[in-house]
Amino acid sequence: MKKSLSLVSAALAATLTLAGAVSCGANNDAGSNDAFRIGVSGPLTGGAAIYGTAVQHSVELAVNEINAAGGLDGVKFEFKMLDDEHKADKIAANYAELKKWGMQLSLGTVTSTPCLEFKNYAQMDGLFFLTPSATNDGVPDGYDGAYQMCFKDSKQGNLSADYIKQNCADKKVGVLYNSEDTYSKELFDNFKSEFDDYNFVTTSFLDSTTDFASQIETLKDCDFIYMPTYYTPAATFMLQANGKMSDGTIYFGCDGFDGIDTYLGDNLNAFPQEISMLSHFNSASEDEAVVHYVEAYTAAYGKYDLNQFGASAYDCVYALFNALKKAKADGKNVTPSLSAKEISDIFKEVFKSADFTFNGITGKNVTWEANGEVNKHPTKYVVKAARE
Amino acid sequence: MGYLRDFKSQFKLKNFINYIVIALLTALFGTLSCVGVLEMSTQVLFEKFAYTLIMAVSLSLVVGFLGELSLGHAAFMSIGAYLGGYFQTYVIGDLNGNMPLLGIIIAMIVGGLAAGVFGFIIGLPALKLKGDYLAIVTLAFGEIVKTVFTNSETFGAATGLKTYRYSMDTLFIIGFVALLVILAVIQNLIKSRYGREITAVRDNEIAAKSMGVNVTRIKIFVFTLSAVFAGVAGAIFSNSQFNFKSSTFDYNYSIDLLVMVVLGGMGSLNGSMIAAIVITVLKTELTFILPGNLAALQNVAFALILILVVVFNNSPKFKPIREKAFGWARGLTEKLWSKIPHKNGDKGESDKGDHADWTEIPSKIKMDALLSTDMLPPDIVGAPEKTDKGEKQ
Amino acid sequence: MIDFLTMLINGLSLGGVYALIALGYTMVYGIAKMLNFAHGDIIMVGGYAIVVFFNLTGMPVVSILAAVAICIALGIAIEKVAYKPLRQASPLAVLITAIGVSYLLQSFAQMFFGAGGQTIVIENLGSLTIGELKIKWATMITLIVAVAIMVSLTIFINKSKVGKAMLAVSEDKEAAQLMGINVNTIITITFAIGSALAAVAGACYIMKTPNVSPTLGSLPGIKAFTAAVIGGIGSIPGAMLGGILLGMIEIICNSVPALSGYTVAIEFGLLILILLVRPTGILGKQKREKV
Repeated sequence: MKKSLSLVSAALAATLTLAGAVSCGANNDAGSNDAFRIGVSGPLTGGAAIYGTAVQHSVELAVNEINAAGGLDGVKFEFKMLDDEHKADKIAANYAELKKWGMQLSLGTVTSTPCLEFKNYAQMDGLFFLTPSATNDGVPDGYDGAYQMCFKDSKQGNLSADYIKQNCADKKVGVLYNSEDTYSKELFDNFKSEFDDYNFVTTSFLDSTTDFASQIETLKDCDFIYMPTYYTPAATFMLQANGKMSDGTIYFGCDGFDGIDTYLGDNLNAFPQEISMLSHFNSASEDEAVVHYVEAYTAAYGKYDLNQFGASAYDCVYALFNALKKAKADGKNVTPSLSAKEISDIFKEVFKSADFTFNGITGKNVTWEANGEVNKHPTKYVVKAARE
Repeated sequence: MGYLRDFKSQFKLKNFINYIVIALLTALFGTLSCVGVLEMSTQVLFEKFAYTLIMAVSLSLVVGFLGELSLGHAAFMSIGAYLGGYFQTYVIGDLNGNMPLLGIIIAMIVGGLAAGVFGFIIGLPALKLKGDYLAIVTLAFGEIVKTVFTNSETFGAATGLKTYRYSMDTLFIIGFVALLVILAVIQNLIKSRYGREITAVRDNEIAAKSMGVNVTRIKIFVFTLSAVFAGVAGAIFSNSQFNFKSSTFDYNYSIDLLVMVVLGGMGSLNGSMIAAIVITVLKTELTFILPGNLAALQNVAFALILILVVVFNNSPKFKPIREKAFGWARGLTEKLWSKIPHKNGDKGESDKGDHADWTEIPSKIKMDALLSTDMLPPDIVGAPEKTDKGEKQ
Repeated sequence: MIDFLTMLINGLSLGGVYALIALGYTMVYGIAKMLNFAHGDIIMVGGYAIVVFFNLTGMPVVSILAAVAICIALGIAIEKVAYKPLRQASPLAVLITAIGVSYLLQSFAQMFFGAGGQTIVIENLGSLTIGELKIKWATMITLIVAVAIMVSLTIFINKSKVGKAMLAVSEDKEAAQLMGINVNTIITITFAIGSALAAVAGACYIMKTPNVSPTLGSLPGIKAFTAAVIGGIGSIPGAMLGGILLGMIEIICNSVPALSGYTVAIEFGLLILILLVRPTGILGKQKREKV
């Protein structure tokens, strides 16, 4: 008993110390960097992995393009994305690891709940970040270094409400949202608050819902369905509703809808209803930059996970790159040997300045409010018109 | 006061080696952290250790010692995190702002008590239900708790609850102190009369009953106690987060905890803790080693390690290699142990005096890993192989 | 009235899928006495197999048969590698390897087929119209298949030699071995049957939810496990009943918008109540303990 106890204790001591030692590696101060280091955290495994994968691919694409063109006056960019499984409790460790690696530039996280966590650590260190797709209102709120490339939840909710007020007076409107998902719930709450007498047919589903039969029954008489949710459950709903909904019904979503066309693939035409969305990116656009992005992405990674998460991340990298370029042109000392804090201060200044505008694939003449909110034009895209 | 007397008569240094090891390391890393030498990544990892280890020993109490399968242990942690964190941040926010140490202690108490109440409630069906049916109740309970918090606007609904984040420099020290207290309680409990009653219920409920053990009381007691500990872990967790969501405490998390307890050896506290550390480090490091496009390989690596370790530990095919390895390790520790001077000079098997006899009752749940030494003298380690009947054909 | 009937039919339809999964679960669980956490992932593999073969051949029946074959092979392989070496270990050791297998299958699916899943529309079978009532053929097929499998499994287990051997193994492995039953072979056969059922369940699942993703199997897996236990461990009609009950509750809760957020809580709450009334499941046998 004794011997084995000591064996166990020795093992306990060894594991604890080792574990401490493992993470006690050399402290990599940003000072030793010879390239600008971009850090991101996002879901790369689990149910939300497709969104993180799109970001991983797009950032890689943008960084490769920038480096191939000579970087920032010869200085290259490096990038690292860690998996957070769409969970807030992974962020502390990921943030610490990225910090140790020497992260100077950051895209924050891909999804909202983890980003609320990320923001607080960033605030501690004064790290600037520009998130591609964490839409939650709380992300830019209260910290002057948190910027968004996407429209925040309240704006998307309000814009959808406006759209419906203007265009759906004679239509029977129904609403379907995910009550367990922050993005969906926030969009819905903001949408609802825009109406004095909210009386639309409303129903919700859960992360675990795979059978939408009840929701379809509830919504079957509506001819305009607002779906503030991601495209994967929406696609399942549409396929299951085939034959139950009237052919003229319009499915209307926000930026989470983007990617539904590539996701559904050939099955996009399996049902006759129209799909449209209010978003900042459309892969079918004929804009030169968009065409270039879509071609490059498809050539490198295929069309499967091409969506606005990636497009937005691609823009984020270029926005950061342009901001650095502008700062350099303004006579600032911009080198990779600067600390994360110093680079962040440059970013904060540039993004706040009135003459910094950005032209990307998710918007033209994009500017930012001092509170980190993005200013650009949302557009209604028709993913697929109703079948005649 | 019989409990206290038991405690006194049993106090032997060797029973507390794990305790001392953890205390010393906490002191060491705590000092480093307070001086400012410790990196954030280490601090964060240690915070995770603190609540994961508490969860592991707490679940070990139910699964390893009471012998009931729990598939929803994360729910108790969830209750502790939500109620403890909420109370600390919103009810006594001012007090917490001035004295965070008092705040976190109150949070641990509130979280522990709240979880304990639910542990008591879940203990009640345990009187009627057995085995897998009870496991389903715990699983169902876990899902119910998760859903209720997700739908509650008070607790932040889908966005999650914003709570007070304790200082990174010191949170893990508090967490480890809490772990030490809990460990002391459990270690004394299992060596006391109640501990023997608990394992008696596990090994043979009917026999225990006929010997006068109050099975009802024992089961409810263990469920409540382990829920209290899980609630404390939850309060520590909420202090390690700025915001968190109830989906963190899902079914998969409960299963992860179960893996730690089973891998560490049923009924072995030290084993559970080692397994908890190893699994936590493994998962974290895999995330770091395999970033970006390689991320999908994390789970492949983790899964292969799990399967290989368990198969190696149990397969009759690996028996010779295993015995060689264990023999070597045992020989080594024996050598080391003999070099340490002893007061009584007692060596090896002469453990009969200190209430060790009862542990030799072969249990229904076979000790399956090498580390299940808390309960078994060395010659019984690996006992399951003795009953080998398979591989005959 | 029509609304109510539609709701019932929708409940039956979802319940049918759960029942099918639960039948596979209860085979492995009732006979080999192990929690096969990878069962849900075998369904997922079946789903992907159907997608791949359907895209290749365009023939639904051929793809389903191919999926069944693949799942049987996979089930046997998993059993050989991850479960068989642990025959003598504690039942909970198998739980770890099962979780390992589950992680493996999910990761491979993500690596080969992408993280977000794929949509597949096998064939629009249309629906059967009785008066105002519309019943999808897919629903009818699921229910018919589930009942047919339930009946044939019951007959197989109670009448055939292998089936009786399975019963004996589930009762007492050691005694069964003494009676000349090859326990290992019986358990392998059990796995093969369980995996075949998983493939069939996968087919019915994607007829209903035309979306295959790496995590497809995890939640239905848990629900089916719950259904199997509620019905009474090892009871084949019990698994069927448990599955249908679960589907019904889920659909009814979802139909009331005010309750839909709490669906899972209500579902599991009711299950706890049922267990308190019937501690060994709805159709489970009350075992008398011998001292």
